Amino acid sequence: MRDDSEAPRKKLTRRRFLSTAGSSAAAAALIGRATAAGAAERGSPGAVAEGPGIEGAVPVTLRINGKEQRLSVDPRTTLLDCVRETVALTGTKKGCDHGQCGACTVHVNGRRVNSCLTLALMHDGDEITTIEGLGTPDALHPMQAAFLAHDGYQCGYCTSGQIMSAVALLKEPCGAEDAAVKELMSGNICRCGAYPNIVAAIQQVRRNA
Amino acid sequence: MPTTQADSTKSPIGQRTPRVDGPLKVTGRAQYASDFKFPGLLYAVPVEATIANGRVTALDTAAAEKMPGVRAIFQRANIGPIFRSTLGEGFEGIVDERRPPFADDVVRYYGQYIALAVGDTFESARAAADAVRATYAKERPNVSTDLKPDDEPDEIETSFGPVKRLQSVRGDAEKAFAGAPVRVDQTYVTPTETHNPIELQATTAVWDGDMLTIYEESQGVFNLRSVLAQMFGLPKEHVRVITKFVGSGFGSKLWPWTHCALAVAAARQLKKPVKLVVSRRMMFQTVGHRPRVQQRVRLGATPDGKLVSLQQDYVNAQAILDNYHEDCGEATAFQYSVPNLWVAFGRARRNVGSPTAMRGPGAVPGLYATESAMNELAEQLKLDPVRLRVLNEPKIDESMGVPFSSRHLLECLELGGEKFGWSRRNPAVGSMKRDGLTLGWGMAGCTWVAARFPVQASVQLRDDGTTRVACGTQDIGTGTYTILAQLASQKTGVPLDKVEVALGDTSLPEGPISGGSMVTASVIPAVYAAADAAAGSLFGVATGTPGSPFEKRAAADLAFENGLVFVKADGPARGVPFADVLRRAQVRLVTGNGKSEGTFGDPKPKYSMHSYGCHFVEVTWQPEIARLRVNRVVTVIDAGRILNPLAARNQIEGAVVMGIGMALFEHTTYDPQTGAPINSNLADYVMAVNADVPPIEVHFLDHPDMELNALGARGVGEIGLAGFAAAVTDAVHHATGVRVRELPVKIEDLLV
Amino acid sequence: MHTFEFVRPKDSAAAVGLAAQTKTAQQGAQVRFVAGGTTLLDLMKLNVETPSRLLDINRLPLSTVEAAPDGGLKIGATVRNSDLAHHPRVQQDYAVLSQAILAGASAQLRNMATTAGNLLQRTRCAYFRDTAMPCNKREPGTGCPAIAGSNRTLAILGTSESCIATNPSDMNVAMVALEAVVHVQGAKGPRAIPVGDFHVVPGNTPQRETVLEPGDLITLVTLPPPVAGSKQVYLKLRDRASYEFALASAAVVITVSGGKVTRARVALGGVGTKPWRSPEAEAALVGQAADAASFRKAAEAALRGARPQSENAYKIELSKRCLAHALQTAATV
Repeated sequence: MRDDSEAPRKKLTRRRFLSTAGSSAAAAALIGRATAAGAAERGSPGAVAEGPGIEGAVPVTLRINGKEQRLSVDPRTTLLDCVRETVALTGTKKGCDHGQCGACTVHVNGRRVNSCLTLALMHDGDEITTIEGLGTPDALHPMQAAFLAHDGYQCGYCTSGQIMSAVALLKEPCGAEDAAVKELMSGNICRCGAYPNIVAAIQQVRRNA
Repeated sequence: MPTTQADSTKSPIGQRTPRVDGPLKVTGRAQYASDFKFPGLLYAVPVEATIANGRVTALDTAAAEKMPGVRAIFQRANIGPIFRSTLGEGFEGIVDERRPPFADDVVRYYGQYIALAVGDTFESARAAADAVRATYAKERPNVSTDLKPDDEPDEIETSFGPVKRLQSVRGDAEKAFAGAPVRVDQTYVTPTETHNPIELQATTAVWDGDMLTIYEESQGVFNLRSVLAQMFGLPKEHVRVITKFVGSGFGSKLWPWTHCALAVAAARQLKKPVKLVVSRRMMFQTVGHRPRVQQRVRLGATPDGKLVSLQQDYVNAQAILDNYHEDCGEATAFQYSVPNLWVAFGRARRNVGSPTAMRGPGAVPGLYATESAMNELAEQLKLDPVRLRVLNEPKIDESMGVPFSSRHLLECLELGGEKFGWSRRNPAVGSMKRDGLTLGWGMAGCTWVAARFPVQASVQLRDDGTTRVACGTQDIGTGTYTILAQLASQKTGVPLDKVEVALGDTSLPEGPISGGSMVTASVIPAVYAAADAAAGSLFGVATGTPGSPFEKRAAADLAFENGLVFVKADGPARGVPFADVLRRAQVRLVTGNGKSEGTFGDPKPKYSMHSYGCHFVEVTWQPEIARLRVNRVVTVIDAGRILNPLAARNQIEGAVVMGIGMALFEHTTYDPQTGAPINSNLADYVMAVNADVPPIEVHFLDHPDMELNALGARGVGEIGLAGFAAAVTDAVHHATGVRVRELPVKIEDLLV
Repeated sequence: MHTFEFVRPKDSAAAVGLAAQTKTAQQGAQVRFVAGGTTLLDLMKLNVETPSRLLDINRLPLSTVEAAPDGGLKIGATVRNSDLAHHPRVQQDYAVLSQAILAGASAQLRNMATTAGNLLQRTRCAYFRDTAMPCNKREPGTGCPAIAGSNRTLAILGTSESCIATNPSDMNVAMVALEAVVHVQGAKGPRAIPVGDFHVVPGNTPQRETVLEPGDLITLVTLPPPVAGSKQVYLKLRDRASYEFALASAAVVITVSGGKVTRARVALGGVGTKPWRSPEAEAALVGQAADAASFRKAAEAALRGARPQSENAYKIELSKRCLAHALQTAATV
């Protein structure tokens, strides 16, 4: 019979959750994070599920967030599923698996792409950046900090894709006005409808850049 | 009973508060149901029926079973027992699709799960599912969009218990209508809509002996636990549901769906953890939708605009099994002052997946119809539609005969009209122009129920100066983590960055479902009670510790305010931080438990409690290219005290965005030949994108509703969607002269 | 998704040789090139495409945009759509192409999709994309359920009793209006195919969408020298403001002199089974006043042969308004 406390969890220090946004209104709280006994560490390749090897697996080397990952994958594995399931970086999300929502947006060689519509095998040697590589709660990317300050999310599920898209947009030709940002961010669907705040966050970063 | 007092100058209540879970969300560290990994995790993919009506006569799984990486193909013969659940008390045993998966070989909707492939990888499971061959005895599906009510008794079963089909009646509405000098008689149709949260529903099921833990993005973890316990014959205590984050739900994650039981059963049979992620296509049939509704609204009025009769007769589509009622009459009976009223409904069974509540169930489509009818009445009367609402503003809830707890719809209308510039309106169709475009202006009122669910919560005070508030409710993007943190911070004086929030776990005190916009209002009294109880324990430590400055005091002499324990008579100047009190006593933490009752479903309430609002909408119309766009929105909401204006504004804006989709884009269409939802993907089911969103101006009134809880807070999750589509269609009419009564407004409607 | 062998040919000749080892280059090919993958992988996930071998051509030297000796432009097959749209020469001399590309898909997809891939974009017809449904394009002879079923987004031009699937591309419409030429390296050597001849209407072989044969590798698309003083507009009409395929679109390249149209190239999108060049509209324009009445007449001419289905008759009027407005916009630029 379980007691009232949560399952054993990794000790979380307060610092982890402090926002460094710099905004006076920004505050963060500790959020108890239940990880069941045996749950793997995030993002380390050794944490891949144990089990029989994958039949027909092909080797591929991906540079993800600056770290070289030597992997062996089913050729059908999309970059998205490779990042999420093989490498266990689950910050990138699957919303449709058909390039219709943008939740899976990552950077390949600095450019935003839908990772669900490309194969891991196609990116041998490419530089891949996921949300985890952009910043941490202790060292946020300015775009992450802006989303925090402007409440650029509600449920947070599309947020990784929105932020990756927005960061890439900074290096793309884009008019100064809100309408231009809205158009270029339309490939990231937010069903919660946090669009006004998303645009405000992006425009703030562009103004301060 | 000791109470804590908050210093309102330091209180986070009412302050724009960035979400405490924000850092996790912006860094990809928030873990949703499909983000958990376990050693030996297997992947499950359901096999979907490709007929909508008939029977599976054979399932050939031989080829699939032999494919690389496949662990098992499950079907009725080998999935093991999955029992039916039954409705319990309170929020127990609620399910919209009651039939357990694989319960028989009958197929009743396209995409119904008929088998389950499990493999070492998603790729192998997906390929195996595709390789299962089903043979069917097929019958014609019924997905007809012409809804005529089935023959049903006067009192019918719904997912929540029995309901009378004649929902509300007073006076003689038919007679009054017949004699009314001015009449509107129209039928309004809202299509099937699909929730489509961006998160795909998923279950990760882990057995440990006969203890089951599931990670699911549920809007109701305790109800889900109760259902799973029944379906798998387990004591509730053996089942734990964990939902730390939900990629939104809008109602589709309130009640359990069949994928959950399948993942649990597969994990049981294989004795391995199993993850099942529902595909986007499956999200159109197997996790609920808002069903199609046809509503006939008849209004009778005097020439100067007083309503004398209101009749609302509606039919909602429902599945072949189950008992879904889209309660479109929910707001009708009280929203207007009218002496003769009739609200009744029927339902029509179709070969579609089980419908379920979708954001603002009932009143959202219901108000689309009644507010549209009011707008048409205003046009007929040549009366300003705002004035028509004012003329028919009720003084009490005429259906229940009780006063409203707090209703400020008139103030909403006045403020909204002023902010929008409504006084400049020229009602003639197509008469208003700007920058070469024709403008259309429309408005509508709205309302949404306010109530509380029963809640249990706990608050801990700890020796490091931090506090932990725990409640087994959920945060579906509405900001519950932050609300709980704000409440705990206010009561304990602990700053927000030192408040730990635990939610979304059935091992925590029982919290409410995240539905009905009720969580915030519900948790306030329970968290307050828990904080007070923690303070009580703290006083016990303070007075019982040798060497403590309070050693010779009675607990009743003490107060706890802004984190300090002090003797009431002395005031806080010589207060001791609670952390010091605990450390001196070598006590790590004290816990207080709190409980509050619900108000939802109270048959004899003293007050009629709701939130109110209105929308003013401007559309632009460019006939040369038949382009219609929503250009500007002003929304005013009367939802009691707003605890976090930052998150609340976001909720209203987000609901307006969904309203743009409801009015202009969204509909799920079933292919008449096969019964398949033919646009079951995010390209063909059109929702609003960033470029569709105009400036949205949101105003909140500040009238705390003290009948509901100590802070006077109601909910804001759903009301922003209510009424919006009616405002849009009236604006469309104003610009184009076309009166659209079936949503969504389509280009082809306007090309005339 | 069916499993496959993933190969990276070392050069174009190798790619051609490997691709020639398949019975067809059309629907159902056993060997496929993959560049951006946005169409191919989408359809492979649906089992509509089931190649057993994928040839990754992303690292072949086909990714540059260069001036052509005749003053036109040479666009490599694997140039990303976003790079093409933002190329200064394209924005300056072939603005309709830039506008068309930027009206399509999303920024992420435009970063992935390539020139050749976009030429080979497949229809969005829901019946085609669902292997549980009959479909003459996917499985010849099984029927076309769209004709009696859901067809709001499907074609009104170039249809047959076998197939009414729309070609969904925006880029292709502009390419047609610009009279691009598609250069192919094949098993029997190179050839140049005017883009207007590259796509074929379904007729009674809807499984054939282009003139490509097994082994054919698109290496280049060339644009003729820009027409001096031409005004170019791409107009796309759809339900929502972005990230949606066209219900109707128009690419126009016109020259106006002395208030009269002296040259016109017109192509329609969202309404044809292939990107729809309209010589009828062009003939109705040349020599006429560049005014609203002529533009409307040209639009009438363009849609004269339109055959509506049960749910898409609105496209006739919508397409006319689209073309007329595109012409009006071009003329007033």
